Amino acid sequence: MINNQNPLSPHLQIYRWHISSLLSITHRISGVVNLFSLILIFFWLLVLSLGESNYELFLLIMNSFIGKFILIGFTWSMSFHILSGIRHLAWDMGYGFEIKTANISGIIVIISSLILTIIFWLLGRGII
Amino acid sequence: MNETRKWVLHRISAIILAPLFFWFYFSLISLSTKNYQEAIYFFENLLFTVLTIFLFFIAFFHVKISLSEIFEDYIHNQKIKDVANILALILSIIIPAITLILLIYKI
Repeated sequence: MINNQNPLSPHLQIYRWHISSLLSITHRISGVVNLFSLILIFFWLLVLSLGESNYELFLLIMNSFIGKFILIGFTWSMSFHILSGIRHLAWDMGYGFEIKTANISGIIVIISSLILTIIFWLLGRGII
Repeated sequence: MNETRKWVLHRISAIILAPLFFWFYFSLISLSTKNYQEAIYFFENLLFTVLTIFLFFIAFFHVKISLSEIFEDYIHNQKIKDVANILALILSIIIPAITLILLIYKI
């Protein structure tokens, strides 16, 4: 690779950002983040099997400011990845390729993922 | 596995996972406010246990295919790529398998 003299196509940083490119890379990044959230959930179950005192400590960490920040972040990441995934599935079936439609669906994905995260936390934590 | 089949299975697993994850995350968020006894009680529900195990297996199947795609795009050294793929495969088998053991025998 190092000796390859072929011209390189511009790197990601060179291009002007569009909703489509932003969502494309965020879909990938959120997928990797979701892997970490799955590993955290795995540890959650592991700690649960280790008994009450360990579990109470784990809950204490999860309910701290940082813990909640991470959990809310993971919830958003999963919401985003699923909604963006639905957008990808629509494309796979041949719908929504027009630039205007793709931009609108992109904005819908971003806004809906935020709303969904808020609804999940308000309902899940019994606030409403 | 050929690439077309991978592509199709990746989409099918995504369609199965989407509703499962909405349900699972909602459950976990409400579980984060409950104590040990209530959490244990949660997993005494057979449906919850079975769905959680199912979700882990399908999710890590999805993860394995996705990680291979990412390695394909960003790792140029074939040897490193092969090792990364093997590690991803081990991870995607071990974690669901341990989850299965935990949920059936330990919790």
